[in-house]
Amino acid sequence: MIIDEKVRKYTARLLGAGILVLAVWFVLAPKKEFSENENRYLTKMPSFTAKTVFSGEYTESLSDWIADHFPMRDLFMGVKTEVEIVSGRREINRIYIGEDNYLIERYEAPENTERITDTLVKFYDRVKDTGVDVRLMLVPTAVTIYEDKLPAYAPEADQMETAKLLYEATGIPAVDCSEKLLAGAQEGQIYYRTDHHWTTFGAYLGYTAYCEEEGIEPVPLEALEAETVTEEFAGTLYSKVNDYTHMKDAITVYTNPEDRLRVTYEDTGEVSDSLYNFDYLQEKDKYSLFLNNIHPLVEIENETAPSDDVLMLIKDSYANSMVPFLTHHYKKIYVFDTRYYKDGPSSFLEEHGEVTDVLILYNMNTLDGDTGIRGIY
Amino acid sequence: MVFSCIPFVFFFLPLCLILYYAVPFSIKIFSGKEILLKNGILLVFSLVFYAWGEPKYILLMLFSTLLDYTIGRLMECFGTTKLKRTFFLCCSVCVNLSVLTFFKYADFLISLINGAFGTDIAALGMHLPVGISFYTFQTMSYVIDLYRGNVKAERSYPAYLTYVSMFPQLVAGPIVRFSDINGQLHERKITPENIDKGLMRFMMGLFKKVLIANQAGALWEEIRVLGAENTSVATAWLGALCFTLQLYFDFSAYSDMAIGMGRMLGFSFNENFRYPLTAVSVTDFWRRWHISLSTWFRDYVYIPLGGNRKGVGRHLFNIAVVWFLTGLWHGASWNFILWGVYYGILLMLEKYVWGRAMERLPGWIRHAYAFLIVVFGFVIFAITDMGELGRYIGLLFSFASNRLADFRFVWYLRNYGVVIVTACVLACPVYPRLCEKAAGLDGRRRRVVSLFAGVGVIVLFLLSTAYMVSDTYNPFLYFRF
Repeated sequence: MIIDEKVRKYTARLLGAGILVLAVWFVLAPKKEFSENENRYLTKMPSFTAKTVFSGEYTESLSDWIADHFPMRDLFMGVKTEVEIVSGRREINRIYIGEDNYLIERYEAPENTERITDTLVKFYDRVKDTGVDVRLMLVPTAVTIYEDKLPAYAPEADQMETAKLLYEATGIPAVDCSEKLLAGAQEGQIYYRTDHHWTTFGAYLGYTAYCEEEGIEPVPLEALEAETVTEEFAGTLYSKVNDYTHMKDAITVYTNPEDRLRVTYEDTGEVSDSLYNFDYLQEKDKYSLFLNNIHPLVEIENETAPSDDVLMLIKDSYANSMVPFLTHHYKKIYVFDTRYYKDGPSSFLEEHGEVTDVLILYNMNTLDGDTGIRGIY
Repeated sequence: MVFSCIPFVFFFLPLCLILYYAVPFSIKIFSGKEILLKNGILLVFSLVFYAWGEPKYILLMLFSTLLDYTIGRLMECFGTTKLKRTFFLCCSVCVNLSVLTFFKYADFLISLINGAFGTDIAALGMHLPVGISFYTFQTMSYVIDLYRGNVKAERSYPAYLTYVSMFPQLVAGPIVRFSDINGQLHERKITPENIDKGLMRFMMGLFKKVLIANQAGALWEEIRVLGAENTSVATAWLGALCFTLQLYFDFSAYSDMAIGMGRMLGFSFNENFRYPLTAVSVTDFWRRWHISLSTWFRDYVYIPLGGNRKGVGRHLFNIAVVWFLTGLWHGASWNFILWGVYYGILLMLEKYVWGRAMERLPGWIRHAYAFLIVVFGFVIFAITDMGELGRYIGLLFSFASNRLADFRFVWYLRNYGVVIVTACVLACPVYPRLCEKAAGLDGRRRRVVSLFAGVGVIVLFLLSTAYMVSDTYNPFLYFRF
């Protein structure tokens, strides 16, 4: 052996002691329910019953439970990430470690394009003759707009190619905001460094692209009140990479001083005059502050709207930060999260004749796996 | 339970060792009968270990061991003539092979029957009891050795069960033969030196498994499913190399951990790997790879069939049988049989066509020759679906129609280059050379090198813990066998 006897003896004792200390620490330490860093509930201690034991379920969950509550779990995970990055890894848990401290989610080759097309076509066939103005907006993610920030040689499937395919196959008039986002990338931050969402500035650019298609005059950014509400935002990508030394993001929110809003959350019955819930600033997932996280249906009325137009917005979470710009132009906006809204927006549309516009907005990265798409029709 | 997981390293193993060291080897009870306490502790932990992942099939293992133990006793008491002994042997071998066939090959046989006769028998869909291929071969070696008079029958069932179920080697080898450790079952020395050395060996295995095998495996999994349009020739070969490294580091790590734990418990198991990737011929490779399996087939199949002593025709036949079986042992699907046959044919060619000529070639050519054969062989080993296997082999040799390399290949090198290079270096016998060098140093320098190595072990251990805490990808390949 390369180690002589004496050093070996001490090394072995140290290892033994280390193992015992960590084991005892694990047993004695109180167990957390929720991991802030990973933004998920940790495994609970499994119950010991004949059924779970014989199916092997017990031992499996017990192993997960131990790994989830292991002492210094966050530290250990961070160490692993640092070592991987030092060894040359530029992709961890399907996240690219990009330039300028950008974490960028990979875009996987889509698998469900056909099924999504079917659903959209069905929806469009049902509503296109009612005179309602329908638009489809597929927002590229950082992997496309920040291609220059990707690590060298990173392989990538083309998001906009898929988007084009969907626009053409569904026949729904498209809102392609990629040009606007690419151009805007010189002026400001379009995506968060640590989260898969676009920033409010990115959302504003998306909004201008929409206005252009709709023939509306967008409100200039300077006319809005901007407020940086946090500089400690560590988003979903941060949690997946576990690099706890990584810099955090700032979130800026915009409010239109002219709007008088009344926001109703249909599921809880809660009513508010703001599109933001700043309670989420105390939590890990700060992006949830936009439109108060997830609700099947949100109704937003604006007393001071210049028109009587009513918009129906079918969307994923990307739209949550774009809504604050849209409210100015619509008397009422119905915001659907079709993952949770079970009745199908198409029948809602038939019952609500006042709707004049429909915007379907999804980001390209979650589109393929989004379960909400099925709920559109 | 796998060895390289948090519950095993931090709870199961320490608890087992503490109790094991705390109790005396044996105690005498009232009638002067001895109870082997250390064996008892080992047995209880081994059964828990097995039941951890396989709560139902533990009964199968108990049945299998009880059968061979009983047959062993019967053979000893009543096996007065060769005929009687042969009868007992046949009983044992038949039952063992039937059990193995039923649990491992039933669905494969059903698919063969369905294919041949156009029948439509439903597959049983059983999952393979963990370690059955290993412990069946162990118990068979016991009965065969007994039949040959090489060992004495074990008197105590608990001792015999301890031998078969012993957790370090239960699920993925090495295939420890009864004749190698029957003495140790009743008497063994546990010294501080062996404990320390055993722990170091275990740690080495842990590092190999967690820090190298799992990483190489992750890249292989990614390349494997890329699809033809994204796989350049270089990427395909990189994938094959990664699987080779994964399999070697995975399996030899398991043997390292087994041998290390055995040593901590006072046993000495034989080595299972001797740097197989540095072999100079196929024949050489099989003297270095999974030694306990190849010697098993040598001693219990090849030599009884007559080996190379009964003429060329018979020799070729014997090689064919042994390598067909070796392939089949690894799994119930065509690719494993193909893999065995591939080696059988290469061995015949080495024995009778180019073996002599090879020896005159320069060393590096012989290394390259064996290495390429091994890497290509593991592609056959890796992909059980014959269609997919065909497509992958096509990619490996698509020099004319495909890009030789692409950016994706460069990307993989950038991400995994450090792991791959480290693995390649460690697959060569650098460690023993360093040990030799270190032993030749004078006192003070030796101490400095030692200190560095000691700190290195601690750092690698913490790093492995970090990987185990966060890693979701942690398979043991040989669990399937």
